[in-house]
Amino acid sequence: MPSKIISFVLNGRETEVMVQPLMTLAKVLRDKLSFTATKAGCHEGSCGTCTVLVNGQPMLSCILPVEDVEGQDVTTLEGITPATGLHPIQEAFFENYATQCGFCTPGAIMIAKALLDKKPTVTREEIVDALSGNLCRCTGYDAIVAAVQDAVQRMAGR
Amino acid sequence: MTAKTYFLPQSLGEALSLLAEHGPSLLVMAGGTLAMPLINKGISMPEKVLGLRRAGLDYIHPSNGSLQIGATATLSQVLQHERIPVLQQAAHNVGSWAVRNMGTAGGNLFAPPPAGDLTVALLALDARVKLASLRGERIVPLAEFYAGFLSTVLAPDELVVELEVPLPRGMTTVVKHGRLHTNTPTIVGVAVHVVKENGRVREARVALNGVGPHPIRARNAEAAILGSPLDTAAIAAAGDAAAQECEPFTDPVSSDWYRRKMTGVFVRRALTQVAQ
Repeated sequence: MPSKIISFVLNGRETEVMVQPLMTLAKVLRDKLSFTATKAGCHEGSCGTCTVLVNGQPMLSCILPVEDVEGQDVTTLEGITPATGLHPIQEAFFENYATQCGFCTPGAIMIAKALLDKKPTVTREEIVDALSGNLCRCTGYDAIVAAVQDAVQRMAGR
Repeated sequence: MTAKTYFLPQSLGEALSLLAEHGPSLLVMAGGTLAMPLINKGISMPEKVLGLRRAGLDYIHPSNGSLQIGATATLSQVLQHERIPVLQQAAHNVGSWAVRNMGTAGGNLFAPPPAGDLTVALLALDARVKLASLRGERIVPLAEFYAGFLSTVLAPDELVVELEVPLPRGMTTVVKHGRLHTNTPTIVGVAVHVVKENGRVREARVALNGVGPHPIRARNAEAAILGSPLDTAAIAAAGDAAAQECEPFTDPVSSDWYRRKMTGVFVRRALTQVAQ
C-alpha cells in the first residue's frame, strides 16, 4: 500500500506523519503519534469516545480519514491539559465523580470544551443535547451533566 | 483496511474525471459517517475510495425563491442556515453534534432506512437533485430519485452535486418519533408542507421516513386532505391513509406493526401542528 506524508497542526504544533490510504485520525493519533488520550471505542461513530476537535468543531476521529484533516487544526485531550494541574473542565469532571469507568471521559470532555468555547453559559438542555453522542457505559449521565454545569462556573471565575 | 488508493479531488471536475475513469469500482464517500464504519469493520472492503470533502461542494446559497445546498454541506451547516426553519429542525434530527459536523446533506440521500431524517423534509419541500457527470448535468425531482431499497437513478459516472430546495410557500413541520429525545434511530419521521387558499388545502405534500425502502411520499394521505379545510376529519383520514400505504419493516428499534401504528399517529400530529 502506498504511504504518503500528511501534515496537520496537532495541539498547536505542526505535525508530519506517514500514513496509509484511508487510515483514520484516531489510529494515527494513537499508533503513530502516541497521543493515547483519544480512545477508539466502537469504530463506527456511535459511542463518541474518539471525539477530537477539528478547527474547534467536534468530529469522530475513528471514522475520519487523516488525509481529510491535512493542513487543519486538530485538538485532542492532551492539547487542553495544562503542563501542570488540570483544565477547569477536567477539574469539574474529577470533583463531580463524572469519570467513573473512564470510557467516555476523553470524548465527553472534548464535547464540553467545544460547547463552552461556543457558548460560555449553557442550559441543562443544551448540555444534554451536546453530550447525546457520548455514551457513558456506567449510565452516569447526571454526574457528567453536573460536571459541565460546574465547569461553566469554574471557567467564569477565571 | 484494504484501501490501496484514497482520492481526495480538489474540485468537482477532478472528481468527475476520476469517477469516469474508475467507474463503479470507486466507493464514493463524503462525510464518511456511512462508509467508514463499514470499512472499519471489514463489511465493506473497497480498493479505491473517492473522498468529496475537498471538492468544493460544501456551500449553501440562497437564491431567488430557492436554497441551493451543495452536496457536501454538512448537516451542521444546514442546521445553522436560518432560511428554511423546517430544514434546520430536520438536520437536528440526525445523529449527534459530531455526526452532524461530518455527515452531509447529499450523503443523507443515501442513508439506509430508518436514517434519512433530513431527506424526508427535502421530500416534503419538493427538492430537486442536481446530478453531474462528464457528460453534463441533469436535474431530477427528489420524489423520482429512488429506484428501490439502496437504489437510485444515479448512473455509475454521476455524482449528486446539489440539492435545490424551493422556499416553502405554505405551512411546514417535521416530527420524529424515536425511543429517546435526541440522537436516536427513527421509528417514524413525518414532514409536511401544506398550502391553503380560501380556507381549503390547495397543495399538500406528506413525506414519511422509516416506513419504506427509502423516504417516501404518502400520496393517499395527501389526497385525503386536498380540498379539505384541514379539519379533524380530514386529518384523521390522512393518518389512516398513511398508515395503510406505508411499507414498514421490523428492526431492532421497532416492529413493523408499531411503525405502522405510529405512522398514523404522527401524520395526524404533524397535520394538526400545521392546521393551527
